[in-house]
Amino acid sequence: MTTSRDPAAPYDIPAHASADDPRVTLEEQLGVFEPIPPYPPRTEREAEFYTLGEGEMFINMGPQHPSTHGVLRVVLKLNGEQVVDLDPVLGYLHRGVEKLCENADFHQAICYMDPLEYVSSLFCEWPAVMAFEKLLDVEVPRRAEYIRVLSTELNRIASHALFMGWMALDLGGLTPILYSFIERDEIVEMLAALTGQRMLFNYFRVGGVNGDLNHEFMSRLGAWMSRATDQIEASLTLLNENEIFVRRMRGLGVLDRETALRMAVSGPNIRASGIPFDLRRAHPYSVFPELEFDIPTRQEGDCLARYLLRMDEIKQSLRIIDQCLHEMPDGPVMAKVPRLLRARPGRAFAAVEGPRGVYGVHAISDGTDQPFRMRIHDPSFVNLQLVPLMMPGNLVADTMAIMASLDPIMGGIDK
Amino acid sequence: MALTAGTPTPGSGGDLPAVADDRREVVEPIIVPNTLWRPVDPAAYDGGRPTQITHLRELEASGLARRDDARWGGALEVIPTKADYVLDLIRMNSLWPLLSGLACCAIEMMSAATSKNDMDRWGMFPFRASPRQADVLIVAGTLTTKMAGPLLRLWEQMPEPKWCVAMGDCTCSGGRYKRSYSTIEGIDRVMPVDVYVPGCPPRPEGLIYGMMKLQQLIKDARGHWPEKPVGPTVPDGI
Repeated sequence: MTTSRDPAAPYDIPAHASADDPRVTLEEQLGVFEPIPPYPPRTEREAEFYTLGEGEMFINMGPQHPSTHGVLRVVLKLNGEQVVDLDPVLGYLHRGVEKLCENADFHQAICYMDPLEYVSSLFCEWPAVMAFEKLLDVEVPRRAEYIRVLSTELNRIASHALFMGWMALDLGGLTPILYSFIERDEIVEMLAALTGQRMLFNYFRVGGVNGDLNHEFMSRLGAWMSRATDQIEASLTLLNENEIFVRRMRGLGVLDRETALRMAVSGPNIRASGIPFDLRRAHPYSVFPELEFDIPTRQEGDCLARYLLRMDEIKQSLRIIDQCLHEMPDGPVMAKVPRLLRARPGRAFAAVEGPRGVYGVHAISDGTDQPFRMRIHDPSFVNLQLVPLMMPGNLVADTMAIMASLDPIMGGIDK
Repeated sequence: MALTAGTPTPGSGGDLPAVADDRREVVEPIIVPNTLWRPVDPAAYDGGRPTQITHLRELEASGLARRDDARWGGALEVIPTKADYVLDLIRMNSLWPLLSGLACCAIEMMSAATSKNDMDRWGMFPFRASPRQADVLIVAGTLTTKMAGPLLRLWEQMPEPKWCVAMGDCTCSGGRYKRSYSTIEGIDRVMPVDVYVPGCPPRPEGLIYGMMKLQQLIKDARGHWPEKPVGPTVPDGI
């Protein structure tokens, strides 16, 4: 064992070192798992949060916790069982994606997009590909656009099905996740037949998609579509008619319209607060103007509304998939693009509506074959900022329920 | 409040001071003296002294933690018996993995545990949330430098005998994040690994195959690493 430190000696942490500091070695990081950081407060918010009032205490939750949806660490300030304040600590999954993209060419950068949003990977590829297409002035064939819509809507259903299971799991119910993983496994096997991978698909290309629809995908999709509606309805009955679940969720974690607008929330979370903002209708991209679907909206803004809204979206996604299959045009799935992509100098922003909100990529090119800078906008990061606003006043047991109803994914938050 | 009036404080909002004209001037970091937070009970948090984490290192140095209490002790330890064989059989058929998903692979790990690929059929019991109750650590996902400390601490908290499965390319070798500045290129840099399951991410069948390989290792009593140090074995410079 090579340790330079005397194990009996107390930890000597430099005055302003934090766990983010690369100079802090792993040895010293082992000493910083107290809820209170080992450095003095750097902002007024930190100073206010890390000052204990009468009868208050800190509880450290995470980074290893079964219901923080990854490696999120949350410091809770409690008064009895009531949450007074909350401080999310991020960065435990920071993989440096934006920097890696600067050293990869335009084809390789798509590969780094997948693991950001590992439940719905195709939605992270799409804005990157769209931004590159804007930089390169590439026209995507219509069949490729339809295949993109078809595959992403399938992915949206898989993501929302998993949400249903996790939501119930964080409330203490184990059974629904078994059902939701059945749906999810069928969909990802279907997408694996199309793309070659179960989770990190790497399917979209600049100018189209990697491969055309094949027989195995179509037969699996047909078999699944014939029973999907009934199967999803049956799964939903488990929770929608469960009185404990509904009473627990109703009125919990209410997000009002003004807060939602002020915090730039997007996706199902803002639609559950009564604002029908959907990028597919607000700023139509791809072939969505030609497709017919509704934007489900709910007025309550509580956890139950957010849950029910996602379940409504599954039905709309099934509608879109039906239309895609009926109106799928013939033709190529890939535009003619050179092997070595050299974009014009400039910048492009593209955004799509994903299962958690608006995914955006701002790509800057300086004329070489690599992006000069890529900035990734992730909806989970925006939605997580609601947590300190919504949590105070709730019980400890409800913190995870509220967080689960926002459906954050740590890969996108920490990038 | 220890802050002087007019000090620019990030995150304060409100009345921000005017931006200095000479922007090339290097701004000193704002240092707030630690006079604001202290526990209500003065004896709490070790009386304000730096926290000492209870490591198992002293225990490790004494050699007690590596002793397998269920086996023969002392001079008889070298003699393999039928009882040892039965003990290994029992251990291999009731593996209790730790529920510690780090990133993408965690979803496939959950998929391996749920309905379609039911790991429970081979005695890999559904996941425990506490390291005290687990004996297999499946490291599923990218290990970043910030997460390495917590993961090591989880590994230290698990009781012997324990095994480690590296799931995914990121944990085997760094994978697609090998060139990143914030990831660890393979968890075998920081902890002993018994089984590597490559793939980005591996299919659930792949994880089950890796766990069956681990069962084979346990049956052959090669699985645990009695001569290797347990705990933070971090080489200098990581």
